[in-house]
Amino acid sequence: MSVPLRRLRETPRHLLVCEKSHVRHERSRHAAHVRSHAYNCRVSFLIPECGILPEALKSVITDIGEYYLVKNLSLHELVTHEFINTFVKKGSCYALTYNTKIDQDNSAALLPTGKLIISVDKDTYEELGLQGRPSQYSGKKVMRYIVTIDLTDSAFDPDSKKHKRVLWALKEKKPLEFDFLLSWYNTGAEGSTLMSYFSKNQIQAHQPKTTFSTLRNLQCPVFHSNELQGKLEESCSAQELFEWLGAVCNKVGLDNKSFSFLSTYCCPQPSTVVEQAYLCTITGFIVPEKIIQLLEQLCCYFDEPKLAQWVTLTVHGFADSPVSWRESEHGFQKGGENLYNFIVFRNLDYWLQMAVGANDDCPP
Amino acid sequence: MVFQSPFRLDPQTETKCDWVGYSTVAINHVIDFKEKKQEIVKPISPSELFPSLPIVQGKSKPIKIVTRLTLVVSDPSHCNVLRSTSTNIRLYDIIAVFPKTEKLFHVACTNLDVDLICINVTEKLPFYFRRPPVNMAIDRGVYFELLYTPAIKDSTMRRYTISNALSLMQICKGKNIIISSAAERPLELRGPYDVANLGLLFGLSESDAKAAISTNCRAVLLHGETRKTAFGVVYTKKTPRASEEEGVLPVCKKAKTEV
Repeated sequence: MSVPLRRLRETPRHLLVCEKSHVRHERSRHAAHVRSHAYNCRVSFLIPECGILPEALKSVITDIGEYYLVKNLSLHELVTHEFINTFVKKGSCYALTYNTKIDQDNSAALLPTGKLIISVDKDTYEELGLQGRPSQYSGKKVMRYIVTIDLTDSAFDPDSKKHKRVLWALKEKKPLEFDFLLSWYNTGAEGSTLMSYFSKNQIQAHQPKTTFSTLRNLQCPVFHSNELQGKLEESCSAQELFEWLGAVCNKVGLDNKSFSFLSTYCCPQPSTVVEQAYLCTITGFIVPEKIIQLLEQLCCYFDEPKLAQWVTLTVHGFADSPVSWRESEHGFQKGGENLYNFIVFRNLDYWLQMAVGANDDCPP
Repeated sequence: MVFQSPFRLDPQTETKCDWVGYSTVAINHVIDFKEKKQEIVKPISPSELFPSLPIVQGKSKPIKIVTRLTLVVSDPSHCNVLRSTSTNIRLYDIIAVFPKTEKLFHVACTNLDVDLICINVTEKLPFYFRRPPVNMAIDRGVYFELLYTPAIKDSTMRRYTISNALSLMQICKGKNIIISSAAERPLELRGPYDVANLGLLFGLSESDAKAAISTNCRAVLLHGETRKTAFGVVYTKKTPRASEEEGVLPVCKKAKTEV
């Protein structure tokens, strides 16, 4: 009888990895971490002691770039050599299936490295005929398989056996059709755009949605860049800061009012009260290259003397994407969170926190 | 695929199912043999309920509706209907049995051609679960069903639900369980992940609880399909008969002349 009760006391598996470094350090891996997290659905940053957004940040936000939604696109169209040569080999092409649940349906993702990841359920895998491996999170009875196709592989020529097999499987054996979110980042190369390439399908361009808000009288914890674990009575730890940031972004009350049924969360001590803080949230299909630009601008915020001691940048990944960082498989047990959070201090030290939920590998 | 089974045909309950996130719903018909004159009627086809099936929230596919029959048996003679060649029973996708005595539970686990065995959650179990019949049921691919809606309605039933579920868990170790609602109204439905969390209270592990609303339900549906086939391999389909040719005289009998 004690085994089920013991299980109730355990929280579902989750991981939080905290790293500390300096932005201008030669071996700092902040850009590498951002680039390896391909699919981002929400980016938000918080600047304390700030009432108006600086012009430089505003221009980066408006320049985030649009993304495209293509309905009923057959998967074999992403494997044709025309598509590979036009988009995958030139610049970074990102594609992710939309409105598919990773624990129930088939799903596909195209990474900027040229790898096409198809996550299929058991029935589809048996009908598809491509080689894949069982999902890491399926248990004894395998219900989910992952098929990885490297589109930029030299063995994937137009006339090679491999290409013919993949095209046959996706076109004739088991045609798979999805709604895709697409985005293409290229450094000024000329050529066709996604809009013109998929003009036969129902392609629509979307702009990311941006919301701005100014928070008044915000309780902020006190923390120092060199004390990641926090010190009793002096500063808060990285984990407490992570929870506080989540509470602020979700507009949870921080004062533990007795009549509140929703939350008994208190701001971690020691804390100060900040008169105003600027919170901006961008929702859409955002490419990592733009996030790096945004991060750079946030670091440049401290070029002029400011009251703020730190700024934060939080990036959420899609709950239903097949991969989280690089090619690590991402699953959805009861929550599909895979997010990371930068806290950049005035002296350009930074903390990076990467968090994943139950069915996920440890972030790099 | 996530699975539910409401009791009564209520289009409102169905629409809430797809809004809450279920991708497959089974509509249940209950036959209680204690009451007189119970006939097994043909199942209602989903197209009569909805002209076009609603799309599940967060996905681009419409909801799938299957039909299910639950037989409440309290006497061994009630099980005969399963062996009969009544065509109506074969029209249902899933057949469940609700045994009321220990002997019938044993028979259901070992012999009966059913997909689900319902576990009583509204009152204290009149019998204890024993390992041999439960293991036989697991080997045959028969699943045990727990309901959660009685637990929402009443606190006494909540106690019985949890205690009955925990005693089942001790024997079957979390295998072959599905959790379903017996919802008659939209308010009695709960989201799939909430139901999976409720499974933790029943003694299931996290992965077993998630399987109880997804992969196990898929297995039940496949088990139901194999009943319409030969050993799960061959399946027959009636083709429409070609119209009679003209000019063929019907065979007529000559009258027998007395010798």
